[in-house]
Amino acid sequence: MDLAQSIVMAVQIWGGIGLSVAAVFLTIGMDRIDEDARGSYIFRPLLIPGVMLIWPLVLWRWWQIETQSAPWAARYRAVRGWYGAAILAMSIGIVVIVATGLSVRQTWPADAAPVQLSAGDKP
Amino acid sequence: MSVKYTPVQWNRNKWIYDAVMLAGVGAFLWVFLYITPDALNHDRAVNPQIHNARAFGACAFVMLTIILCIGPAARLDTRFLPLLYNRRHFGVMTTFVAITHASYILNWYFAFSSSNKYVGLLSANTSFGQIAGFSFELFGIFALICLLILATTSHDFWLKFLTPPVWKRLHYLIYAAYFSVAAHISLGILQDQKNHVFTVLFIGGASAVIVLHLAAWWRERSNVAARDGAWVQVARPGAFSDGFAKIVKLSNGDRVAVYLMNGQLSAISNACAHQNGPLGEGKVIDCLVTCPWHGFQYDVRSGRSPAPFTEMVPTYRLRFENGMIEVHPDANPPGTYVDPLPLPATALPQGLSA
Repeated sequence: MDLAQSIVMAVQIWGGIGLSVAAVFLTIGMDRIDEDARGSYIFRPLLIPGVMLIWPLVLWRWWQIETQSAPWAARYRAVRGWYGAAILAMSIGIVVIVATGLSVRQTWPADAAPVQLSAGDKP
Repeated sequence: MSVKYTPVQWNRNKWIYDAVMLAGVGAFLWVFLYITPDALNHDRAVNPQIHNARAFGACAFVMLTIILCIGPAARLDTRFLPLLYNRRHFGVMTTFVAITHASYILNWYFAFSSSNKYVGLLSANTSFGQIAGFSFELFGIFALICLLILATTSHDFWLKFLTPPVWKRLHYLIYAAYFSVAAHISLGILQDQKNHVFTVLFIGGASAVIVLHLAAWWRERSNVAARDGAWVQVARPGAFSDGFAKIVKLSNGDRVAVYLMNGQLSAISNACAHQNGPLGEGKVIDCLVTCPWHGFQYDVRSGRSPAPFTEMVPTYRLRFENGMIEVHPDANPPGTYVDPLPLPATALPQGLSA
């Protein structure tokens, strides 16, 4: 099995585990940890893709809420401090990648006028 | 606001917003496919499949660019706030457009082989050791994964479940996604352009995103300076306007919104419990402040949303010392009532009486 096949299989396993987590969390866990969800069922299928993608995070938060291990103030601590670093990294990255892309762009022979090499049989 | 979850909390504004957005997407695709082949250099696309793939790819880039411009534009000028209101629908729609782009690519370039098309996508281009011809597909795959995570975690449940700070950190993936899209375009379709209209449009869009974000970030840094000490100075009474807040940043990075209301002061966290929106930019009416981002409301004396809603934010203690309003940096637990601080009649701003 080559690397590409391994990656595809890993993604399938990840999704399979996520689907199992979604089945348990959306039927049992959600009612235990969120009173606003009790009696609300129509919106739950919307959450399945999200649980499949980030199921480790779901399990971590579920455990945190069950054990009440997260400090209450953390919920209100806005994360604007990361904003500057995030947009600086994005901006520098875009400038570098666009400049790099333009510098390696090849214009020859695509822009060269076609030259007929032989007259051929037809006049 | 909360109470019970529903799939989508529709209202008239959301219907209008989504209708305009869908009309815009339709118009863009129509113009791209039928009006501008010459200008954008795709007049000789190999077949409709590739033509459509390019149209949806370009549309996804434009939508992502607009989404990333809305946030800083709204912080620089409040007239853009209505665009921020329903941005999550914009993001979900962008993800669907990006999936359509990827589907056209997969079902044309990788569909006619005996091997799995996803394996084909990952193994077709392995030019990792060079820039020209580098596997630009990887950037597109990464960006699509980011967009999928953002779209599938956009429901209000995720905000409450993950908590706004964790949710925000997760949604910072939008910046990584936008860089990846720029790399996907720069090392992909840009290498094949024979005229420069699309190149100019692409660089113009990316530049707008960069300039707006840097400007918003710079203004935020300039406006709010960190302060030290047990009690933190906010402002002199004369600097307050009735019904509005002064925002102060504490040394731990938290922001506090201090409101003047009928000659009395109250302080709550500046971070809305919904998406950590800036409560201090909202106006107080009948003791309730409305978050300018999504309309969540809180009583500024207790930090509680009016019944039947259940959101709460922390409150803070205030004092009037040597002509200066000061706030204590230790937050009270969310929903804790604090008596408003009455200002002496002599200290009230002009035009106000206690």
